[in-house]
Amino acid sequence: MSYKTIVLAAIAACGVLALFTSAADPSLPEAAVDADLGSAPDAVVGMTNTLKFEPDTVEVTSGETVEWRNTSLFVHTVTADPDEATLEESVRLPDGAEAFDSGTIEPEGVFRHTFTTPGVYRYFCIPHEGVRMYGTVIVGD
Amino acid sequence: MTLYTIRRSWKSVLGTILVACLLPLAPVLAQDGGDRAEQMAQLKEMAPAKGYVNAHKDVEQPFGLLGGPITATIRQQSGGVFVALPDQRELDPRVFGTPQMPRALAGTPGVNGVPLMARAAENGAFTVMSQPSPFGDAFVAMGNGRLQLDAVDATATDAARSDDEVSMMASWEDEGGNTYEVRCCQMLATHGMEFPTFGGVVTNHILHGFTRIGTALMPSEYTYVAFWGMGEVRKNGDVIDRPRLVHGMLTEYVRKQDYKLAFDEEVTPTRRHFHLMVAPFMPVPEEGTFEQNPVTTGFTLPNGMELPFWHVMFENLEIEASRGAE
Repeated sequence: MSYKTIVLAAIAACGVLALFTSAADPSLPEAAVDADLGSAPDAVVGMTNTLKFEPDTVEVTSGETVEWRNTSLFVHTVTADPDEATLEESVRLPDGAEAFDSGTIEPEGVFRHTFTTPGVYRYFCIPHEGVRMYGTVIVGD
Repeated sequence: MTLYTIRRSWKSVLGTILVACLLPLAPVLAQDGGDRAEQMAQLKEMAPAKGYVNAHKDVEQPFGLLGGPITATIRQQSGGVFVALPDQRELDPRVFGTPQMPRALAGTPGVNGVPLMARAAENGAFTVMSQPSPFGDAFVAMGNGRLQLDAVDATATDAARSDDEVSMMASWEDEGGNTYEVRCCQMLATHGMEFPTFGGVVTNHILHGFTRIGTALMPSEYTYVAFWGMGEVRKNGDVIDRPRLVHGMLTEYVRKQDYKLAFDEEVTPTRRHFHLMVAPFMPVPEEGTFEQNPVTTGFTLPNGMELPFWHVMFENLEIEASRGAE
């Protein structure tokens, strides 16, 4: 292959980057919902190939449950534990709230957490803390 | 310099980056092709580590690593990988200087430095690579990433021979179910061409960026273990390119929000990831330099063209290391 071809390939590749990097993530797969988890969650958050929690902010009331679904190809975590964070900004917990950490969530995996202390929670993904993969849960009274 | 060398260098110029004939902003280049070739040869010869490499490359009995060998094992057993796509790298002024005082110019363009003619003007400043490279912000996610690296850093310096060891297997899958695999190393790079390789394996060292050890297009990054060697590229189990220059490194985290490649001040020292590079270059040992040589990756972009390199990041890692054990 000539270099001209390579250069053209590279330039052309740039033209198709948007196909890769801006494509919408697939909708949340129904298969990710584990029937053993019981009743439906009060809010659902996806974890994406673009290293986002989507939506990045959800609101629930005290006693309600949020479910995270790993809709990506990557391993993620849902971590609101200051001991696991390496950046001070990665975790916020309301006064009196207990820290939590999902542990490793494989692709298509699911994690649920029930919030009982009102306030604002900021959580993060351990392997992707460097890209600031952050989410927020606002728990009302 | 022989005519052969000149022709080869010019071919390499074209092959490295098609910039000299595309850009009007090449003050280091003269008007005729002969001068361009000679100036490109000078750029390569001026790679800052050339003297170091020349002093060490023939050493038959190099010293060992102070304190004894370091053995490292890195694994990824599940989860995806990030595959870099060609993109135009923004140039960090901490590494590449300013339009008024540019630096990091010499060496094979893209492999070591970035000459002015490979820098694009943006608002009157040289702030971005003029052509796509493997080092940018664009990527595609692929699944089922697997990595097994077993490395020993025993020899300290570049040399003619080395006691360093590397065994690496990395694989991942595209959405069509094709498996891509890189294996290394049938042979270690016991010494570098334009920059040091420390016997083939290096531990606990800063690489890239301002160090000019490897491409300056990656940020200056603390590196826990890295290797350079000759390996092979496979697709669906078949060898499709061999030998290939393979480089791997476990570093601090050099991506930022939206997975954009960081500048030096933006890296996250408290997280780590592993980078695998199968470079679109091959060493030219008799010249102590590199020439363009696209990788047969077997991965076809939607436009029908083949990706000419692999630059793959693994981030779900298990890391073990020990010192002093053989």
